[in-house]
Amino acid sequence: MRAVVLLALPLVATGCIVAKQSLAMPGNDQTTVALLTGALGRPIDGIARHPWFAVRHKGETAWRVYEVGGSGTEADPFHQHPPYLEPILHAVWRGEPGERAAACIAKVAPGVKQQIERDYFFPGPNSNTFGDVVLRRCKLAASLPATSIGKDWRGLVGAGISSERTGVQLETPILGFKIGLREGIEIHVLHLSFGIDLWPPAIIVPLGPGRIGFADR
Amino acid sequence: MRGAVILVLLATRVASARPFDDFQGGSWLHYELAGLHGVGDARGSAGARDLVLAGFRLHGFVGTSSTIGFHVGLDAAAGGTLDAGGFAYDVALFPVGVSARFGRTGVITLGAGVGASGATGTLDDAVVLPLELNAELGGGRLRLLARARTSYVAGADSRQSAAPSIPFADELDAMVGLRVGRHFEDHGFPSGNGYFVGVSYRELAGTRFAGLVIGYSIDIATPREDRSRPPEDRYGCAACE
Repeated sequence: MRAVVLLALPLVATGCIVAKQSLAMPGNDQTTVALLTGALGRPIDGIARHPWFAVRHKGETAWRVYEVGGSGTEADPFHQHPPYLEPILHAVWRGEPGERAAACIAKVAPGVKQQIERDYFFPGPNSNTFGDVVLRRCKLAASLPATSIGKDWRGLVGAGISSERTGVQLETPILGFKIGLREGIEIHVLHLSFGIDLWPPAIIVPLGPGRIGFADR
Repeated sequence: MRGAVILVLLATRVASARPFDDFQGGSWLHYELAGLHGVGDARGSAGARDLVLAGFRLHGFVGTSSTIGFHVGLDAAAGGTLDAGGFAYDVALFPVGVSARFGRTGVITLGAGVGASGATGTLDDAVVLPLELNAELGGGRLRLLARARTSYVAGADSRQSAAPSIPFADELDAMVGLRVGRHFEDHGFPSGNGYFVGVSYRELAGTRFAGLVIGYSIDIATPREDRSRPPEDRYGCAACE
């Protein structure tokens, strides 16, 4: 009976995110940096996502996009960022934090992108490794979703502060784990993430938006 | 690892100027969560009664024929025994196998391999030699997923001859499920994905387990083509210019 209940709960809730962040673009009265992810093309759209940073300085109308395999300027990278599907907004930095984030990303991202595009492989380093490295180097507290496979790539063995900056993680290509106040507890098996996010509360699964529960923010 | 892959690719390229033209195949991936309850104990042992395992199954097949090919696979799952509170795992690598394709995306595979499984406190750790039959049939909104595995256990006396229904193997694991999802023909490649639900049955250490399995499945393949025909017959004149 307990097994049935354990099975039924995720089945009912699979794919559900409560209180997902709105994709409405913030105004250009302040410098804004946004972290978004989109699903890869079909049929792997349910298990793999790709991140990009969208940066718009105060007063500008176009967004500068930083990512692996692309980059450039776009009018609305919140709703349309081909070929990626179903964008999700994970974090926004505005005002003074946005200025700092924009400056750091402009400085750090091109070098990380160049290195990863040269060494690109699966499950890492790849576009999700790029997202995680830029978050950590720029001290931007946010997490990529569980379906961003490669976000926890640290080489053969790696350890350090997690991207949300309230936890630590130890990683190998086979096994890894992450634990922290905002990160919760994650176990990584072949870079598939399973765990529990303490705040906002959710079960972390390597499927769909990467969690069952409240949206990460 | 990367070097090995590059070497294989280079070796293939040396063998043929257009190495991938001759190959066709496909793959499938399952994420699975299985909950099993002990429904009968032939030995009266105090083993696990409730078993939950989460994991994935990644299998592929490739060949030069549109029907017969080689098959490889990797199954990995971990979880726990609810009543005993122990960690449980079940992994298997299938480096040797054959596949037969049916219809547009259907495939049946038979693979042999090596693995390991166990559960702390209730199921002795052991190396297993599994023989696994997989079937993935149907390429529309519905797809039948089925698996039957018999395993021979090396070591772990408590797990020898421990499948009451089959005298020729030590363990039995079977699943049949139905996927409800989508089918695509993007870029000329038949593919699909969707959630599935099914029933699972195991005979393990003298205990019969039955339960449910839920999961997510993806499949993708090259179109089935008779590559023995010349390109102009398959693609028309544009391909032979």
